Amino acid sequence: MLVIKNLKASINNREILKGLNLKINPGEVHAIMGPNGSGKSTLANVLSGKNGYKISGEVKYLGESLNDIPVEERAQKGIFLAFQYPLEIPGVNTNNFLKTSLNTIKKAKGEKEIDTIAFLELVKEKAKELGIDEKILSRQLNVGFSGGEKKKNEILQMKILDPNLIILDETDSGLDIDALKIISDGVNSSRSEKKSFLVITHYQRLLEYIKPDHVHVLSDGKIIKSGTSELALELEKKGYKKLN
Amino acid sequence: MNENFKISPSEIDKIKLLNQKDKNFRLENLKLFNQQGFPTRNQEDWKFSDINQIFSKNFKNLESFKNGIKTKSINFIKEFDHNHILMVNGKLESSEFTFEDKNKIKIKSYTESNFSINNEENSLINLNNALSNNGLFLEVADNYRFEKVIIIYNVFTDDLKNNLLNNKNKIIIGKNSELHIIEYNINQSKNKFIYNTIENVILNEKASLKTINLQANQNDGFFYKYSKGKMKSNSNYSSFIFSSGPKFNKIDAEFDLEGDNCDCSIKSALFINKDKHQEIKTKINHLVPNCKSYQKIKSVVDAEGKGVYQGKIYVKDIAQKTNAYQLSKALLLSENSEFNSKPELEIYADDVKCSHGSTSGSVDENSIHYLMTRGLTKKQAVQLLVSGFLNEIIGDIKSNSVRKFIENKIGVQIHGY
Ligand SMILES: Nc1ncnc2c1ncn2[C@@H]1O[C@H](COP(=O)(O)OP(=O)(O)OP(=O)(O)O)[C@@H](O)[C@H]1O
Ligand SMILES: [Mg+2]
Repeated sequence: MLVIKNLKASINNREILKGLNLKINPGEVHAIMGPNGSGKSTLANVLSGKNGYKISGEVKYLGESLNDIPVEERAQKGIFLAFQYPLEIPGVNTNNFLKTSLNTIKKAKGEKEIDTIAFLELVKEKAKELGIDEKILSRQLNVGFSGGEKKKNEILQMKILDPNLIILDETDSGLDIDALKIISDGVNSSRSEKKSFLVITHYQRLLEYIKPDHVHVLSDGKIIKSGTSELALELEKKGYKKLN
Repeated sequence: MNENFKISPSEIDKIKLLNQKDKNFRLENLKLFNQQGFPTRNQEDWKFSDINQIFSKNFKNLESFKNGIKTKSINFIKEFDHNHILMVNGKLESSEFTFEDKNKIKIKSYTESNFSINNEENSLINLNNALSNNGLFLEVADNYRFEKVIIIYNVFTDDLKNNLLNNKNKIIIGKNSELHIIEYNINQSKNKFIYNTIENVILNEKASLKTINLQANQNDGFFYKYSKGKMKSNSNYSSFIFSSGPKFNKIDAEFDLEGDNCDCSIKSALFINKDKHQEIKTKINHLVPNCKSYQKIKSVVDAEGKGVYQGKIYVKDIAQKTNAYQLSKALLLSENSEFNSKPELEIYADDVKCSHGSTSGSVDENSIHYLMTRGLTKKQAVQLLVSGFLNEIIGDIKSNSVRKFIENKIGVQIHGY
């Protein structure tokens, strides 16, 4: 699904990713943990295609190099990033945005666009699964949403857009226990042979709900250790300092 | 001044004159216009819109009147029930008040000189006073609330070319009466022309007037509208200006709040693309205590477009407890787009609540990125953000069907840019 070789990324003349290697097979869930400022969100941004980074190395998605693929095409090809800090976008109606997004992606895939009635039914169903109050979806995108509502809204988008490679950047931060469980269920029910997840988190707790196949530690722009979910438990006990 | 723009006094003889007083008034105003020419940037009120230069660049000569006009058929709005008034090149053609008590409405072609609107400093008003021979006079009797909105179809015919049209309208709302108007401009001409109009609005005690002015097709018309309002006590005026498409559009509104407890609101959403130039200018005169005024102007400027907002709130010494608010926000889509704003407060009373502000900036890159990670192209993302920016104004329209209609008209402009 995703192969990253010797990825380096710098911004404002500062190197943040310093030669990162990672391979994710279809159907796998990988977790990335690591200290604040180690480059986790940068990795997520670079994979999403965000402008402004100077990049070297290779990123292949479904066998194809992503190097020259712009943001929107990556999304259309099935890469999805749930943001650590979902943006508030005043004036833009949430449902309207979601529908535009879904139809643009469908069109790019050569699928038939969805009409308003079918769309609203789809949203209603998915929102219910995630315990999202439908009313917030007729509001402006993320504006005045609570922290948890914003995170849930990211997962709702994931559910609706149905991507293949899903990157969750600290989706668990700021969620209460119930919300954490709902979101994890949302992720687990989306797991399939064809979908892969890259879950960025600080907390071992999330990994009890979403069982990862592999856990990696990112430190100072590199993956310094990889293992199974045992590694997450070990980190929880000892912290990052003792790793090296 | 461009000699081609000097207007011979013999032009006035082409107008069916009322009397000698009228003729003298016109000759006097023409003289003032010929002395000054069109306003230039040296005048404070035209600082950012040098209309003299703009006209010189776009017109070699101007023909003052237009006779023998044929209208192409127009599509009346079907989305909602309404009364209508049809104006063609500024002349009242027909009206239909299907939903109303006709005894309460006085409507006629307005050909009188209006001696009360005069402004030595604005030569466009002089020009209008000298030459205007057409317009709409509409008066609503006391204690009458309109059942349905009036749409004024303001049609400009396709044979207009290098014409200078002058028109005057007068609207009087009786005591305790209420009227909603949508002024819908339909420009069939592919050519350049100038439409110079003066509107005089009088709201008597407890009267209410809500207007929407809509310009929503790409065209080469140059529009100037001076709107002068007088508000008596407890009256209510609310105006929305939606403009996208004309080559030049300046709306210059001056309202005198003469009676206590009146409420004057002007909201505007402009989408200025290509090399278009638009200005909103407001002057709100708080002359008595306890009145409220509100202006919110949102402008999106793309490419070589230019937007201007000049707003002044004047509060007379006796106008205590005035509550005045003014805000201009502009979104610039290109490095070559320009927006100028000049908000001003002139306050002589001490117990007042007045605020004003002005911001302009480009589209937030992070927002664009966010939307693009959901598959939207850059253009789609920008369009969504632009609609969102302007929807804050459009969203304030109370009637669902009217709001949808406006949203749709503006949407077509945004998506076609
Ligand atoms: N635009 C930028 N210019 C300069 N430095 C940046 C920029 N963006 C990120 N950085 C720096 O890069 C480093 C990595 O940031 P990143 O957001 O990837 O960390 P993270 O691992 O996600 O941290 P956290 O766990 O706190 O979310 C940080 O030191 C940050 O300050
Ligand atoms: Mg981060």
